[in-house]
Amino acid sequence: MMRSKKAAPRVVFLFTEIFANGGIQRFNRTILDSCGQLGLHGRVLSLNDSPESIIEGQLEHGNLTVVGFSGNRRRFALAVAVVLLRGRYDRVLIGHINFLLLTIVVMALRPFGRTPALLVAHGIEVWSGIGWWRRRALSRVTRILCVSRYTRQRILEQAPALIADHLIRFPNALADTWGRVEPVPTARALPKPFILSVTRLDRGDRYKGIATVIEAFSMLADDSMQYFIVGHGSDLSFLQLVAERCGVKDRVHFMRGVSDSELIALYQQCETFVLPSGKEGFGIVFLEAMFFGAPVIAAEEKGAVDVVRDGETGLTVRFGDTIEIRRAIERIVSDAGLRERVRAAGRSLVTDGGAFTFAGFTRRCAEVFEAGETTVA
Amino acid sequence: MCGILGLFNPAGVLPSSDILVSALDRLKPRGPDDSGIWRDESVLLGHRRLAVVDLSPTGRQPMESVDRRYIVVFNGEIYNHRELRPRLNLLGDWRGTSDTETLIEAYRFWGMDCLKHINGMFAFAIWDRVERTLFLARDRMGVKPLYYSHGNGKFGFGSRPGALSMLINDDGLEIDSEGLRVYLELGYVPAPLSFHRNIRKLPAGHCLLVNARGMRRIRYWDYRSIKPDPSIDSRPEGDLVDELDSLIQNAVKVRLMSDVPLGAFLSGGVDSAIVVAAMKNSGVGHPKTFTIGFTEETYNEGPAAAKAARYLGVDHIHETLDVNSLLDLLPMYIQEFDEPFADSSAFPTMAVARLARRYVTVALSGDGADELFGGYHYYPLIDRLAPMLGWRAATKRASGRLFNALPWHRTKLLAGALQCRDTVGLFHFLRSVSKDYPSLVHPEILESTANSESWFSQFAGAFAVDLSAAEIAMRLDAGLTLPDLFLQKVDVATMAFSLEARCPMTDYRLVEWAMRLPMRFKVRDGETKYLLKKVLSKYLPAECVYRPKMGFAVPLAKWLRGPLRTWAEELVHDDTLMSRLPLDKARVRELLRQHSAGDRESHPLLWSVLMLLCFVQTHGARRALPVMAYREVA
Repeated sequence: MMRSKKAAPRVVFLFTEIFANGGIQRFNRTILDSCGQLGLHGRVLSLNDSPESIIEGQLEHGNLTVVGFSGNRRRFALAVAVVLLRGRYDRVLIGHINFLLLTIVVMALRPFGRTPALLVAHGIEVWSGIGWWRRRALSRVTRILCVSRYTRQRILEQAPALIADHLIRFPNALADTWGRVEPVPTARALPKPFILSVTRLDRGDRYKGIATVIEAFSMLADDSMQYFIVGHGSDLSFLQLVAERCGVKDRVHFMRGVSDSELIALYQQCETFVLPSGKEGFGIVFLEAMFFGAPVIAAEEKGAVDVVRDGETGLTVRFGDTIEIRRAIERIVSDAGLRERVRAAGRSLVTDGGAFTFAGFTRRCAEVFEAGETTVA
Repeated sequence: MCGILGLFNPAGVLPSSDILVSALDRLKPRGPDDSGIWRDESVLLGHRRLAVVDLSPTGRQPMESVDRRYIVVFNGEIYNHRELRPRLNLLGDWRGTSDTETLIEAYRFWGMDCLKHINGMFAFAIWDRVERTLFLARDRMGVKPLYYSHGNGKFGFGSRPGALSMLINDDGLEIDSEGLRVYLELGYVPAPLSFHRNIRKLPAGHCLLVNARGMRRIRYWDYRSIKPDPSIDSRPEGDLVDELDSLIQNAVKVRLMSDVPLGAFLSGGVDSAIVVAAMKNSGVGHPKTFTIGFTEETYNEGPAAAKAARYLGVDHIHETLDVNSLLDLLPMYIQEFDEPFADSSAFPTMAVARLARRYVTVALSGDGADELFGGYHYYPLIDRLAPMLGWRAATKRASGRLFNALPWHRTKLLAGALQCRDTVGLFHFLRSVSKDYPSLVHPEILESTANSESWFSQFAGAFAVDLSAAEIAMRLDAGLTLPDLFLQKVDVATMAFSLEARCPMTDYRLVEWAMRLPMRFKVRDGETKYLLKKVLSKYLPAECVYRPKMGFAVPLAKWLRGPLRTWAEELVHDDTLMSRLPLDKARVRELLRQHSAGDRESHPLLWSVLMLLCFVQTHGARRALPVMAYREVA
């Protein structure tokens, strides 16, 4: 908790979305939960949330007001301008680089006051394509909160003129709410043993590597093994086709509409959680799997390596390498000692004293919201 | 180089040896020197031999391991077999000097892991008498073919689908719906599909384990996820040239293992010249090289090849043909390909194989270099087109309408390219024979099968992240087009004349190195095969290295408007023949009309259709296609 004697800072949060599935959305929820615990006051402007989703989302902290714009960019931009020009606040948290230019321009027009602005850099959206205008705008931000080492490194490569100290590693954490969800037996029959993936299945998300897991899965010697894929999206039929072509259509199960409780049961019962994604900004889903005791297999790529260290907190494979994925699954399944070591180490990351706990995240929030007196002109 | 065939039926019902002999006879061109059969109560193995290494009877197949537990039938060569022998804990003396013996002992020693140790081109099957398990494998890059059939409780395999079909007692050709659709989109059938409904092609770099419980297909080697290594960028170019040169020389040197005369194809292009230069450097005094030239200047690479041969100091054998005389090979072309196959460069490949076989039994070829080192013109093109994929949908629609309205064929193709969803789709569009022509197959097939792009997408799913569009295209070519189009062409065209072709550029060490090589060393400022040409510049003057790529082209478009026009018209207007295929007759005939009238250059697709019709005419007479056959999708 923030221990400053001063009044808690008032913060404006500019988010793309809060109440939906996805890494960015979960990050946004976690940061709001933390800020709520810190007693921060503020307004949250969310581009893609609708008023209904905000009501359903039931944000628990009354001192944060959330306004959704249902994807209406014009209304959102106008509201941002009005709030930033008129509002009384001490910090601005820019939740996505797409809002950076707008925010910096509007804040430059602000007649009084110099307010620190913080930008959250998640992953793929900042790994390339930072042009001249954005580089200029980035130089005016007080702090850039990078969810992974890789994200920080990519920004600095594109904008070497930035002061490196202004880019701080600000990893995600397991949401506070997960610890309170009681696992319930899933209503669906779960043939065991099984491996598990949880991810979006959109065509644009093929870098998640689900097709390669299906291929690797089809090569496993144990033909009683099942594969559960939790998620949905536009690529579902393609992945079903891949499963059919690999001859494992009957053992690959696509699940959607899975409740948190069911998901926990899946995490707890799976032999291993596999998501060898090539472009994971951070991979909050790895933390969830670890928290519930699933040994994790990830690709040695991008933000995932901050969480999954090969042979310690999980196993890593080369992205796309179906042979390595198969071997990693077989290792985890056949080596009980390894499985237990990995489980324990993974869980220690998200339980007391771990690097990715909600408490640690809240501490980091307190630090960044208290600090940062360097201001935007 | 040989032909293999076999059947495993746990229930113990096997065809008679006469049937196996008849099926083996279909493989005779692949192995004219000898044949052998092995059988027990549930397994039947057959082999036709082209003797290349260890010509004595100790090289005969099927061959047993020293402990008699394993029996192998093997097609191909293990180039490093002499290096492997000391590492194998042989129980006694080696019986002969053949690589087959080394292979079976390697399997006895390492089991399935023997695949990690062997370097070669191969398709083989090993029967384990103790475990009652059949193990089959195809080489890493798919130089040698291997077809299999699994169903009704039995498993069959063979070097050619026709022979396999005879062995499994398939009571008539039944066309695979998806194979047909994909063929008409691509002009070939990529593995694991085949044109035969009950037969599959083992993909390159895969092995199979088969026992009474079932079958498991395993990928044992995969280059797809190898990333370009940025540290190579900072190395001096001269170092890279030397390293590549050394790798090529090593790949060539190991492929000189032979107990029969050996030569090389020399086309006048970069790839074959670099292979011949490496042969010279490997101590082959005056290797024989072979070229087919044509009387028509446009297609004639003869002078360029002769010039390269003079500089390289080889014994060059050159035959000049009238390009139309290649049409004499058409019956053989149709007969030898057991699947419809629409790459017309098979004609000159067959002609040069026929020439080479008069002098040698083994010939080295430069195939594979284009796919690994960036030889095709569309690699720079796809990099230029890829940014358009990111345009807004409205912009793409408007541009597409504009390009379509223009009178040129190329702008219409550009409009088609704009509709692609991603780089894989764009590559598929550029590589397909059908392009923007409406599908020729019946709507039922379109509804019940997936298109060929989905195979490309599936294959590309394992590619390293952050590749450029050209790199994606090259990896797709290396993994799909090379084995199932170009290497299949080389295999069938050379085997038709009992000539063994070896492709040093498909050496797996070279492939892995090429995957790590950053793009700027492959295509730079529009110059294709940048680094490979630098290597060749060490051996040949610039005039031989930096000349326009010609390829093994034939005047197909002209043929189809001239000498082949009547033949083509007879085929597409043969109602009996057309009725055997689920094709849209009107569209097929319109395709021919448009091409004949010069309204549209449709020869790749038209040729695919004609080869399909010829195939059904030649091979499909055993059973007409039932209408419902193509509705039942596996």
